[in-house]
Amino acid sequence: MLEGDPPEFLVRGATGLSRAAGPDFKSIFTVSLDEPGVQAMAGTYRMDGNTLAFRPQFPLEPGVTYRAEFRLGDERARAVFAIPKPDVVPSTHVLNIYPTTSVLPENTLKLYIHFSAPIARGGAYRWIHLIDDTGAEVQLPFLELDEELWDPQFQRLTVLFDPGRIKRELVPNQEMGPPLVAGRTYTLVIDQGWPDVRGAPLREGAQKKFKVGPPDRVALDLKNWKVTAPNGATRQPVMLDFPEPIDQALLERLIAVTDASGQAVRGAVNLDRGETRWMFTPELAWRNGSYLLVIPSTLEDLAGNMVGRLFDVDTFDRVQQHITVETHTLAFTVAR
Amino acid sequence: MKLHLSLLAMALAVTSTSAVLADDSLKAGKADLRSAGPMTFGPDGVLFVGDSMGAAVFALDTGDTTAMPGSAADIVAINKKVAALLGTSENQILINDLTVNPLSKRAYISVSRGRGPDAAAVIVRTAADGKLEMLGLDNIRHARVALPNAPDPNSKSAFGGSKRLDAITDIAFVDGKVIVAGLSNEEFSSNLRSIAYPFAAADRGTSIEIFHGSHGGFETNSPVRTFIPYKVKNQDVILAAYTCTPLVIFRTADLTPGNKVKGKTIAELGAGNRPLDMIAYSKGGSDFILMNNSSRGVMKLSVANLDSYAAITSPTDITGVPYETVKGLSGVKHLALLDNAHAVMLVDAGGSEDLKVASLP
Repeated sequence: MLEGDPPEFLVRGATGLSRAAGPDFKSIFTVSLDEPGVQAMAGTYRMDGNTLAFRPQFPLEPGVTYRAEFRLGDERARAVFAIPKPDVVPSTHVLNIYPTTSVLPENTLKLYIHFSAPIARGGAYRWIHLIDDTGAEVQLPFLELDEELWDPQFQRLTVLFDPGRIKRELVPNQEMGPPLVAGRTYTLVIDQGWPDVRGAPLREGAQKKFKVGPPDRVALDLKNWKVTAPNGATRQPVMLDFPEPIDQALLERLIAVTDASGQAVRGAVNLDRGETRWMFTPELAWRNGSYLLVIPSTLEDLAGNMVGRLFDVDTFDRVQQHITVETHTLAFTVAR
Repeated sequence: MKLHLSLLAMALAVTSTSAVLADDSLKAGKADLRSAGPMTFGPDGVLFVGDSMGAAVFALDTGDTTAMPGSAADIVAINKKVAALLGTSENQILINDLTVNPLSKRAYISVSRGRGPDAAAVIVRTAADGKLEMLGLDNIRHARVALPNAPDPNSKSAFGGSKRLDAITDIAFVDGKVIVAGLSNEEFSSNLRSIAYPFAAADRGTSIEIFHGSHGGFETNSPVRTFIPYKVKNQDVILAAYTCTPLVIFRTADLTPGNKVKGKTIAELGAGNRPLDMIAYSKGGSDFILMNNSSRGVMKLSVANLDSYAAITSPTDITGVPYETVKGLSGVKHLALLDNAHAVMLVDAGGSEDLKVASLP
C-alpha cells in the first residue's frame, strides 16, 4: 500500500511482524525501481503498531514504476506502483538573448540566454548553434563546460565564446581562427527541443541574427560616458550613456548610486538602447544635492575590456600588484 | 608523438587573511549541501565537497578510514545504478565528480538528483560486491566555509536578487589548504581560492589573481579549469590547466599574502578541447601525469624535470615535452587515482556511464 504525503510504502496484516523481535527490515521488505536486478532504494524503515513503513529518501518520481516486496517466513507480498506523469504543455521560451545589439565585435566574449522558466541542466550546448552566412554551422565556437554557467534559478545561461580562439598570440587562435569573423553575418539558433526542468521542450525555438564588426581592443574610459541628471523632487531616472554596449549582467548589477553622505540610494536599474544606456529609478523622489555613480573597474564591455584595462594586454610588468577592485565615480547634481 | 609547448612566464599576486586554526571544527548535524560538485579527500577520511549553488565548501567526516576489499571494481552503467538507489530515472541523474578515498579505496561520486535548481545534492560511494550506498548527510560531522559571492562593491544596495554564481570547477587539498577554482557566470576572471583547514569562521579564503603572459603581448586572467598539487624536487607546486591557455605550473609555497609566483606553461592544450582531470603517478622510475580531455582522449605526459624549462623571451620560442595519447581510452569524463598502479574512471560508453578500474599506463 502506498499512502501519505510524502508517500510511504506500507506493509499491513503480516502476522509475523509482531513476532519478529528487532528484525532487519531491509532483508524482509525492499522497495526498488520495477526493473530486474536493481538495488533497493535508499530510505528509512519504521514500525507503527503492526504496520511496517518504508519512507524513500527522496520524493517519488512521476513516470517511474516502483516495486515493493515483502518476505518474512511464509508470508509474502508484492506490489507494483506506477506514479502517473502529468502531461506537460510546452510553455517555456527564450525571453532575451544579450547582447541585444545587432552588431557584435569580433572578439565578443559572452552571450546571455534568458528563459521564462527553469531549464534542465545537462547537455546545454547541444541545443545552441552558431550558423554563418553560408548556412554552415561554426564548429566549437563556445567553451563547453560540463558545469554549465546557469544562474541560481536556472533561467539564464551564460555562454562563453572559446577564449582560446579570441585572444591574440594563442596557438589555438592561430590554428582555428576566431569563432566570429568581422564583416560576416551569423545567426545564433536555439533549438525548440531544449527541455525545461519539467521535461517539456520549449514552446518555440529562438534566433538572433547579428553582424560582426572589427575586434574591440579599447579599454572603457569614463571620459566618454555621459551622465544625465534627473530633476529634484521627481523619480526621473538618472541616465548614463556609453559609446558602446556594456555587458548586460555586470551593467545591471555593478553600478551603485550614493548620496553626498555616501549612503547607497535604493532603486531599480533598467537598460536601454542595446545596453548603451543605464537608467536608475530611485524608490523615493530625488532630493536636491550631489550624488555619485560608483563604478567598479570590473565592468566589462562585450569583449571583456574593463575600465582602464584591456582584456587582451601585456601585464607582464604589473605582476606585483595586489588584488584590488578599483572603483571610479561620476558625480551628478540634482536640482529643480 | 611530441607535443609542442611554449614556455610562458607567468606570475601571480596574492592577498590573504590568514586563518586561525580551529581544532575540532567538525560538528555533527545536517550538512546542508545545495549542490555537490568537485570533491577531494583530505586527512583522516575527510571529504571536501564544492557546493556551487550554496557558494560554499564542505568538509565531511566520512568515517571511512579502513580499507574495504572489493569496493573498487568495474560497475557497468553506474548512472543507472545510482538512479535506482535514489529512486528515480537515469535522465534525472547528473554525475558531477568522482574521487577515491585513499584510506579505504572506495570510489565517491557526487550527484545531482534532478536537473533543476532544486535538485538534491547526493554523495554516493561504492561498497563491497559492486553495491552502492549513499553517504548520509542528515547527521554527519562536518564544517562549512562560505565563499564570497563576488567582489561586489555594491552589496549594500538593493538592486534585487543576484543572478551571479561561481561554478566551482576543481578542488584540491595540499599542505593544510583547500584550494578551490571557480568560474563566474558574469565576470570573466580568475577565481582561485586558498582556504586554510580546519576552517576558521572568518576565513573566506585567499583570493588569488593570476596573470600569465608573454612579451608577445597578451594577458590572461583566465579561469583555472582543473589543477593538481604536485612535487618537483621536493617542492610543492600546483599544475593548473586553464580554460583557454596551457598547463601552467606555480609554487604552492608562494600562495601567501603579497607574494608573487613565477610559473611556466608546460603544454598547449588547444581550442575545442578542455582538460578535465589530472592524476600524478610514477611507473618504472619515471613520473607521469595522466590527463583526460573533453575531445583529445587521455594524455600521458612525461613530467621529469619540470623545473628545467626556461621562460621564453618571445612567442616564437618553442620547446617540447613528450606525451602520448593512451590507446583504448575514450570517453573518460572523470579520472581519479586509486593506488600506485590503478586509476578509477567514469567512462561515457554511449548513453551509459561506466565506472572502470584500469591499470595506470
